[in-house]
Amino acid sequence: MKKLPFLARKVLYGIPLLLGVTFVSFLLMVYFGPDKTYELLGKNPSAEQISEVRHALGYDRPFLLRYGDYLKELVTLNLGLSDSTGEAVSSILARTLPVSIALVLPGFVIGNILGLALGMLAAWYRGQWLDKLVMSASVVGMSLSFLVIIIILQILLSTPYGFNIFPVRGWQVVDLSSYLYYVTVPTLALLLVTLGYNTRFYRAVMVDEIERDHIRTLQAYGTSPAELLFKNVLKNSLIPVLTRIMFSVPFVIVSGSLLLESYFGIPGIGLVTVNAITSGDQPILKAVVGLTGVLFVLALMINDMLYSVVDPRVVSEQAVSKS
Amino acid sequence: MTRTTWQRLKADRYGMSGLLIVLFFTVVALSVWIGLLGQGWSEVSGNSWESISATHWFGTNLLGQDILQRTLFGAATAFEIGLIVTGFSILLGTVLGALAGWYSHSWLDEIILWLKGVLDSIPFYLFAAAVAFALQGNRWAMHLAMIITFWTTTARIVRGEVMRIKQREFIEAARAIGLPGITVVFRHVLPNTVHILLVQATIVFVVAIKTEVILSFLGLGIRDGVSWGLMLAESSQEVVAGQFGNFTAASVSLFIMLMGFNLFTDALQDALDTRRIMP
Repeated sequence: MKKLPFLARKVLYGIPLLLGVTFVSFLLMVYFGPDKTYELLGKNPSAEQISEVRHALGYDRPFLLRYGDYLKELVTLNLGLSDSTGEAVSSILARTLPVSIALVLPGFVIGNILGLALGMLAAWYRGQWLDKLVMSASVVGMSLSFLVIIIILQILLSTPYGFNIFPVRGWQVVDLSSYLYYVTVPTLALLLVTLGYNTRFYRAVMVDEIERDHIRTLQAYGTSPAELLFKNVLKNSLIPVLTRIMFSVPFVIVSGSLLLESYFGIPGIGLVTVNAITSGDQPILKAVVGLTGVLFVLALMINDMLYSVVDPRVVSEQAVSKS
Repeated sequence: MTRTTWQRLKADRYGMSGLLIVLFFTVVALSVWIGLLGQGWSEVSGNSWESISATHWFGTNLLGQDILQRTLFGAATAFEIGLIVTGFSILLGTVLGALAGWYSHSWLDEIILWLKGVLDSIPFYLFAAAVAFALQGNRWAMHLAMIITFWTTTARIVRGEVMRIKQREFIEAARAIGLPGITVVFRHVLPNTVHILLVQATIVFVVAIKTEVILSFLGLGIRDGVSWGLMLAESSQEVVAGQFGNFTAASVSLFIMLMGFNLFTDALQDALDTRRIMP
């Protein structure tokens, strides 16, 4: 009984965010974006020709109607044609998104699992040498720029100055072995750049949980560390852990792929976006920015709903505070 | 910062070495600004790819420019970005966070939270691209994009802190003697958040410098002058051909500077937090 209004309220709270995100991208990309009128006109256009083109592009329509048009494009996924290739934007996205996911998923998953494991280890042995080692390593990791990590890995693994066992760039994936061949260096880069932050975050969460009284009690009863960590500590800190993972999904896929793909020349959504940035391809940019914003808000809403599954108190607390 | 905080900070060896590194780079940046160092960053002073010598300590790049001069100038660029972005985003975050926290659960709070939610929902590099797109090559587009998005974290922290502080008795006393809300916020609440803002500022500084590197590589960054990000972007083409001069100079300086800031931030956090049970 209580769950339905809770979910409905979460959906309701998402709507202003969705409108805000789409409005910001509309404002920046469409309203203040470059004026395409003169690109489409010949030399010395007459005033009539100018107004004709402006009408065709929809520039003379009222502000709110143009925003409505943009919203309709996003909802129906009818995103227009790319300026540079003439291909439909939706088909470009459908073609490149799987490549991006295949590229960043291994690094993302391993980065979180490894970060969680190291964070738990450091939290358990907090103050001891193992903790200090993990924490110092994470500070070193945080001080390295993503770009520097990529270049170092490339020198080490893909050039004659290092081991030279992986390709310098490219993405000719046909089967598993070719996938591993091309995905290894980007995955290692993503892993190294996120691991420091993940480890520190998960350690802080775990330390909070380990210092609780009931954990000390269980320890006194003689519960084994493994059982304690996995059954009690990890389970109770699922909410911040889940939040971090959910929040970083759209960011890692877009931001991570942006740099990795433009560096390694991998034909995913990031490379398409970078090319659109350099060539000023507005239809692609406004679709990517708007859709990722929407995707993020949806992830946020799902995250809130997961809360109520993981921790039933979330629903009842809110119900109590509302009444 | 109180005396005890400073005492504790002084006892932290890692933190003090971090502070020394930060001070070193500050001196370098100041020297560039007043014209003592790095002035020859754009002049061609040698042949292409000269190796390390007495005249060119770090060698020269493809065009024959001195890499040491460019590295020194890059330190000033990094500081310029760090200071501008940190200053404005902390200011914006403090004001908006304080307003949201003081008038919590009012319409003003709702609007500020909504704005924060919206800005947090757009992946940063895409937002930077969108701002650059809208401003069409303005040299401040990168700074602006960072300021607009980086204030949200500060605002969230300040909002929580203000909501906590305003429950305290001395605030009640200040209101009881009839001080207007704004005076209470700026004279009595915000001074109690300075230590948090200090830590937050060092964090934003690091993020701003790291972000510049990525944005410069993507072609959305620095437009005039030279930065470590631009040197690294150039070097990404060069390392495959075996030219490591640009890469080594920029990446090592960047690493040392960020390491200094990170060590100092950690130590500052430990020194300010009285409850913390830490090594």
